[in-house]
Order: sequence, then structure tokens, then C-alpha cells
Amino acid sequence: MPTIEVSRQDLCRLIGKDLSIKELEEVILYAKGEIDSIDNDKIKIDIKDTDRPDLWSVEGIAREIKSRITRDVGLPEYSVLSSPIVIKVDKKVNKVRPLTACGVVKNLNIDENILSQIIQLQEKVAGTFGRNRKEVAIGIYNLDKIKPPIKYTTVKPDEIKFVPLDYESELTPKQILAEHEKGKEFGHLLKDCKEYPIFIDSDNNVLSMPPIINSNYSGKVTEKTKNLFIECTGFQFKFLFTALNVMVTALADRGGIIESVKIIYPNNSIITPDLAPKKTFVDVDYINKISGLNLTKKEMCTLLEQARYKPELKGNKIELLYPSYRQDILHQRDIVEDVIISFGYNKITPTIPKLPTVGSIDKLEQFSNILSEIMIGFGLQEIMSYILTNKKNLFDKMRLEQEKVVEILNPISMNFNVFRTWLLPGLLEFLSRNKHVDYPQGIFEIGDVVLIDEEKETRTTDVRKIACAITNNEVNYSEASSILDALLKNINITYKLKKTEHKSFIQGRCAKVLINNKEIGIIGEFCPKVLENFNLETPVVGFELDLESLLNNK
Amino acid sequence: MYELTEEGKKYLKEGLPEINLIKKLKEKELSFEEVKKLQNFNIALQWAKKNNWVKIEKGILKLTEKGKKATKEKYETEEFLKKVEKGLNKKEADILLKRNLIRKITKEEIEAKKLAGKEILNLTPELLKTGYWRKVKFKPYNVEIPGKKIYPGKKQPYNRFLFEVKQKIVNLGFKEMRGPLIETEFWNFDALFQPQNHSARDWTDTYQLKYPKFGKLPKKELVEKVKATHENGWITGSKGWGYKWNSEKAARLMPRAHDTAISPRYLSGLKGKLEIPGKYFSLVRCFRPDVIDSTHSLEFYQLGGFVIAENLTFKDLLGLLKMFAIEFAGTEEIKFYGDYYPFTEPSVQLSAKHPKLGWIEFGGAGIFREELTKPLGIDIPVIAWGLGVDRLAMFKLGIKDIRDLFTQDLKWLREKEVIKCQQ
Repeated sequence: MPTIEVSRQDLCRLIGKDLSIKELEEVILYAKGEIDSIDNDKIKIDIKDTDRPDLWSVEGIAREIKSRITRDVGLPEYSVLSSPIVIKVDKKVNKVRPLTACGVVKNLNIDENILSQIIQLQEKVAGTFGRNRKEVAIGIYNLDKIKPPIKYTTVKPDEIKFVPLDYESELTPKQILAEHEKGKEFGHLLKDCKEYPIFIDSDNNVLSMPPIINSNYSGKVTEKTKNLFIECTGFQFKFLFTALNVMVTALADRGGIIESVKIIYPNNSIITPDLAPKKTFVDVDYINKISGLNLTKKEMCTLLEQARYKPELKGNKIELLYPSYRQDILHQRDIVEDVIISFGYNKITPTIPKLPTVGSIDKLEQFSNILSEIMIGFGLQEIMSYILTNKKNLFDKMRLEQEKVVEILNPISMNFNVFRTWLLPGLLEFLSRNKHVDYPQGIFEIGDVVLIDEEKETRTTDVRKIACAITNNEVNYSEASSILDALLKNINITYKLKKTEHKSFIQGRCAKVLINNKEIGIIGEFCPKVLENFNLETPVVGFELDLESLLNNK
Repeated sequence: MYELTEEGKKYLKEGLPEINLIKKLKEKELSFEEVKKLQNFNIALQWAKKNNWVKIEKGILKLTEKGKKATKEKYETEEFLKKVEKGLNKKEADILLKRNLIRKITKEEIEAKKLAGKEILNLTPELLKTGYWRKVKFKPYNVEIPGKKIYPGKKQPYNRFLFEVKQKIVNLGFKEMRGPLIETEFWNFDALFQPQNHSARDWTDTYQLKYPKFGKLPKKELVEKVKATHENGWITGSKGWGYKWNSEKAARLMPRAHDTAISPRYLSGLKGKLEIPGKYFSLVRCFRPDVIDSTHSLEFYQLGGFVIAENLTFKDLLGLLKMFAIEFAGTEEIKFYGDYYPFTEPSVQLSAKHPKLGWIEFGGAGIFREELTKPLGIDIPVIAWGLGVDRLAMFKLGIKDIRDLFTQDLKWLREKEVIKCQQ
């Protein structure tokens, strides 16, 4: 969700109406926005829609609000003059970053505020919509320092040198990737490329090295800049056209004059930007079916005009033209939402659906709650731990051989990079953090563990477990076995204990818990070495049972 | 142990009646009529006769030779009486018991007896059994100081909160859904019409697994429909996302990133027959690689689900959210904001004015896109909803740091008041 900063004064001027903060809070909803914070004239706005880059600028927000509260409705009109500027695309770019769409905006009066808005929009579009410059990188230049025709080509890593933006010395592309802040940040986008993309003019002045950095010569836009050249590079035209159209229309709303350029690809050529409106339609009945608003056709058309469409009623259909900067309309549904937004979410009277349904809690959850109740009856404190843990806790500290477990490739922390396979290590970890707290200590946990199960759809299976651990100066095995016995008797389960050996427990003080000869858990007194590994200084006894087996044997 | 009966005590003090009798006879023979006037005449005569100490001749009681001798010797029974305090053997005791001069007493009685007349601390079972409690005084306690600290077993407060939320949602007619902690991207994203190049699916926004890497896709028919919908909209009336859908990416495994991953499984009918009309919910743990801080926990719970019925509209969706605000935040003061989820359209965010917290973002909802429902075989509207429960939990538990929901602090757990999830 992009958050943008705007000047209230600027926003009101663009809307053409002076609005109080309270009024702005209301009308900002038309742009799917919400005011995040206010600092004098500066307002931070969260724009909820991650598919509408046209709303991520003060100009775009104003455009969307204006049509709802003034008479300036319908399709916004932009005229595009054609300029003689040509961009020649070298086929060498095919291997690195094959496509570009470019445009020119002239006659701008850029002030400090407008400049920061341009930069903000460029960053948001390339960042959020352009997937951190992967799908779309945007360069903005001082057109007056460029001598067309412009070439989009590639160079070898050491082939040329230029001064990157806000830098003093010349660097080669290779040096930029190694040394420059932006090179380090975005260099991964050119990983494995033998040559790097470059825009260069006919005076051999470098414009930029997309998607990394502009040159300081022509790629620096200031308050004195009047005429802009804008390029977008990437892999799919649908993203590039949207990004370019969003940029140039925002600047046109500032009074700029849009001019198109000709881009000559090895096999064809295109003219960009293309601001011709797009076409679609919506069924009248569908709008009412989804919205429940019972609108007349006329009301629908009014609301659509306020949402910047140009509607034309054709029987039970409304044919629509909509602005070229929108690429988010995939389905009639998307249009219905625009109608409802124009109507105003908070003007609708909600109807609470009355449906004859019966609620229920899942059996296993219900059963878990019953077991929890019994355990609490023994005076044990319930705890809740993370399901994520590490192999050291699960295996090493418990004196077990490491096994294959579900492991995360990109963990936030190496302490939390695998899914637990049993609960007892978590209980010991918990006790180790509470050594200073009054004894005796008795705790239990009911929770899921994840085991590898190659047969399953997800190659894993979740198992609900119950485990308890008790520690005190003179705790012994029988305290655990008494609780186990009482627990199982209270849920009407016949079980057997069978002596076993387990490296986590003291030899001769550990048993398997069997139901119908099937092992469903383990009980014992923890081996002193395990206690040492968890830095525990009092004996600990405990058990762990498979809760689902208990449920199924009830 | 034994003690003297009243009779025993008397005899110990005054002498046994048969001894007293023969002592008198030694002084002077007495007529039967005179003897009758003596104290305990019957007993005295009975035992004197039994011992062959006396004989009656013509109405006169006389000592026998044995009787004369007895007046000079120690008398066994009397000796035993004197020994009672020190202890008797069985033979000795039997003799006295037969004559009711002693009786058996219990240890408790002895203990209780010691306390008689005293001020005591504890009321003992001995005192109650022997009735000696009547003879003691109870030392008053300082009843105004608080007791020693003890810790009852308790539910983990967050878990209690979650279960109470669950009960409440069930009372509103919702059925619980469950799904796996490890999901294929297919169910977590693709079935929800989230394009494979969507930023939410980026490395930085989702966990990926080192092992196991890939799961299995569901039946081919369903996969083909989802693929076609992503690529060109299939028959859903959508343009689709317009890219080449990759089944290998869809089969990748990941920890469940949101509760909505469960809904398409149920909608598809793979989890059993879907009830229509139906109201479903899940309250499950989810995982996202957020930077961990006071507002982001490594693991978190999400409450969400869907409502399916013929003719549901956007107005019903708002009504559903309103109901949640009333039930969970205790307020009818609500405000709706437009919102965006890749899988719903239209989408709404609900803000509710909580009586104590003020305006909070409380949840979101939307109508599932047809690109999602049609491939799953659903042709009627499905409202998807989700509520932020963690914020409410933190408020109810009085904690500032979300990580404390999974606290590892035993002292805090022991001392935390048991809080009810308030209406």
C-alpha cells in the first residue's frame, strides 16, 4: 500500500476547491485513500489500491476527487503533440532489458513542491508498480541537455565512463555496480548480464544506465528545468505504457504539454505515449446484482462519469471509455466497485444478512480445549510458543540425531528457521527462561507440530500434540506418570507404559505410552545432559502425547 | 494405653472394697447385717469370697486363714491399680478391665487431654473425635493480612481470548475450517487469483521453503481452469492477467501466509460438501517474514472466512462488517473505506470506534472475484471477510508489544488476571 506525502494547499488548488481537513478526510475516500497523518500543510495519505498507480500522486488524487465534487466529470482529456524525437533501440538490449516507452513533457513551471511530487511519483511507480524497478524503471531528464536521436543500447562493463547523478567523478558501469549506492541496491537486476543497458544521445552523452542510475549531466532535473524527457524500460509493454501514461498525465495536470516520440525497434516502430482511451462495457443488471443499490440507468451513468468513465447507454449495456493510465480493469466487477465508490460507501445502509446456518467448532479444537481444562486442574500453567524454532533446540540440545524437517529458505532469524517436530524442547526452553521464578513450576502446551509426509499433497502433515513439563528440587518420574494416568482416565482411555530408551531421558526412567499397542507418546525424566544444554538446574519430568490419536481412540 | 475409671480412681484412693472388708474383719468379726451396711458391700463380699478370704458362719462373717494372711500381704489387684500410669501388661490389664477399674484410651485422647483448658492454634482431628474441642480455647489469628502467594493452573491468556472469539463467532452461525500450516502456493495465491508476478509473492514478502520444496497440485481439471483464468480470464468474463502461468511455481510450498488460503479449499468442495447458504470461519496461525518489532510478531493469528448465499450483495457485506463491529468491538459507530485485495472486488476496510481504543482498523471484506469463484465451481456471490483480532487481544490483555501474546514469562502468566473476552 503506497503512502504518499502531499501539500494540502497544492491538493486543494488542483481540486479547485478549498477543503478543510475534515472535508478532505471524506473526499479522499473517492481516491481509495485514507489520511495517515497531518503535519501542518503536509498530509500523508495511504492509497489502498496497489493496482492503480494513477492514484499515487497528488495530481491523480485531485483528478479523482474533482470529478466527484465539481462538475469536471467524465474522461480526462489529454492532447498529445508529436515531436520529431526518435529513439533507436539496438537489438543488443534484447538480452538485458528489451523494451522501452518514452515521452516528452514541455513548458513546465517546476517549483520545489512539484519537483518533489515528480520524484515521489517516479519512485512509487517504479517501486511498487514496477516491482522495485524489475518490471518498470523510470528515468526523467532535462530534455534541453539531450541531443536526439537517442540510442537505447548496451555497453561492456568497462566500455564507457560517465558521472552518475549527484556524483562528482566519472565511473564505468562496472564501477557503478560495485561502488555507487544505487548500483549496490539494484545491481541484482543486471546479474549475469555481459553488457549493461544504456541511453546515449547523438553527442555521446550518456543519459542513464537503466534500471540503476541517471547521469548527472542530462539526468538531473531542477527547478530551472522546463522540458522533460521520460523513459520507462522493462519487459512488458502493458506495464511500461501504464507507467509512462501515469507520469505524463500527472505532469500535464501541472500544465505541461505532452509530446510523443518515435521508438524504432529492429523490426518495427511505435509512437509513445498513446493516451487514447480504452474501451469496455458493463451490464446494467450486473451493477445492481452486485451492489444491491437498485440504481437507475441514468444514476449509473452519472456515477460512472464521476468515476472518470465516458458511458454510453446501449440497451441493458453501458459501453464505456476509460483513461489510458488504467490497467486494472479486468472484469465488470472492477467497474461496479468504481460505481459504488462514486455512490459513497458510507451512504449505503448496510443490511445484515439473515441466513439459517448452524455454527460449530472443529472437533479437534474442541477436544484440545477439554484436555487443556483437565491439565489446568492439575495446577499446570498453559503456555503458547512459536511453531518456528531451530534444529539446535529440536535435536542437538535434546541429544538427538538431526532429522529432515520443514525448513525455511529465507528466515528472518536463524533461531526461527524450522518447524517444530515436538513440543518438549519448547517447554524446556520456556523453563530455562524462568529459572528465577518461584518453584515448583509446572507447564503444558497444546499445539501443532509439522512432520514430513511424502504422501501428502503438501508433503507435510500437521500433528496436534499435548506436552507437559514439571520441575522442582525433588520432582520425580511418578509426578509425570500420575498426571498422565489421571489425564487419560478422565478421557476414558486405556493405555500402557512400556519401558524404552530415549536419549533425551535418563536411562531406566523413560517409557513409551501405548494405546492398543500403538505408540502415541513418551514420558520420562530428562537426562541431566539435556538439562545442562538448556542451562537448567533442577530435575525436570514430562510427557508428550499425540492428541489426535487420543481423540480417535476415545 | 489405659486410664483409671472413676471406680478405679476411687479404689486407688480409698482402697479396694475387699481389702477394706478384710481389714475391718481383722479388727472384729461382723454380723452379716452389719456388713451389709458397709460401702460397696456387694463388691467387697463378692471378691472376698472369690479369694476365699471370708466364710459365713451362723450369720457372722469371719476371716479364713487365707484371709488373715491376705491382710498382711500386698494385694495383686491393688498393685496393678498403682501401675496404671506406668503401663500394664496384658494379663494385668485384663484383670483390671474385667472389673471395669480401667479403660482403654487412644493416643488422640491422650493428646487431646493435654490441650484441655489451653489456648490452641490448630483444631485437630483428635480434639474433634474426642470432643475435647469443647475444653479448649482457640487462639485468634490476624485474619486481615493477605495469604501466602500461590499459583493456580491457568489457560494462556491469549489462547483463552482466541477460544472465546471462536465461541462468539460460532454463536453467530459460523462453521470452523482448518487447513495445513504448510501450503502450496496454488492454494495460498493462485486459487485466489493472485498473479504469479504479484509483489506480495516476492521473496521479501513471503517465506519460501528450503525443504520440502514442492507439493502436489490438485486435480488437473481445477488446475487447468485456474491457469486459464490467470492467462486469459477463461469463461469468467475477465481479461485475466495476461501472462504465462507456471504450474511449477504454483506447486511450490510455503508456510501459510494468510487465513484466506483455506477458503478456496472449502469452496472447491475438496473438503466435503459445501453448505449453501453457508457461513465459514477459520482462526489460524500464519507466517510472514516481517521485520519483528512491537507491532509485528513472527507468528500471528488471523480470523477470517466467507459467507455464501444466493443474491448476496455489497449491502450485505457492509451489514456483515457492521455485525462484527457490534459483536467484537462493542460499537455501532463504524466507517467504511475502500480497500484493495487481489482476490476481492469490491473491497472494503472497516474502521470501528472502539469505546476505549478510539477508531481502529478492525477488519476488511470483499466479494470474491469471479476469477476466483468460477474455477472452483461457484456461480453465486461469496463474501470474504477478515478481522484483526490481535489488536483487540492486546487491548484486552493490557499489553503493548504484540510479541508478548506468545509470552515466555512465567511470572506474568501466573500473575495475569483471568480476563473474559467482553461482549
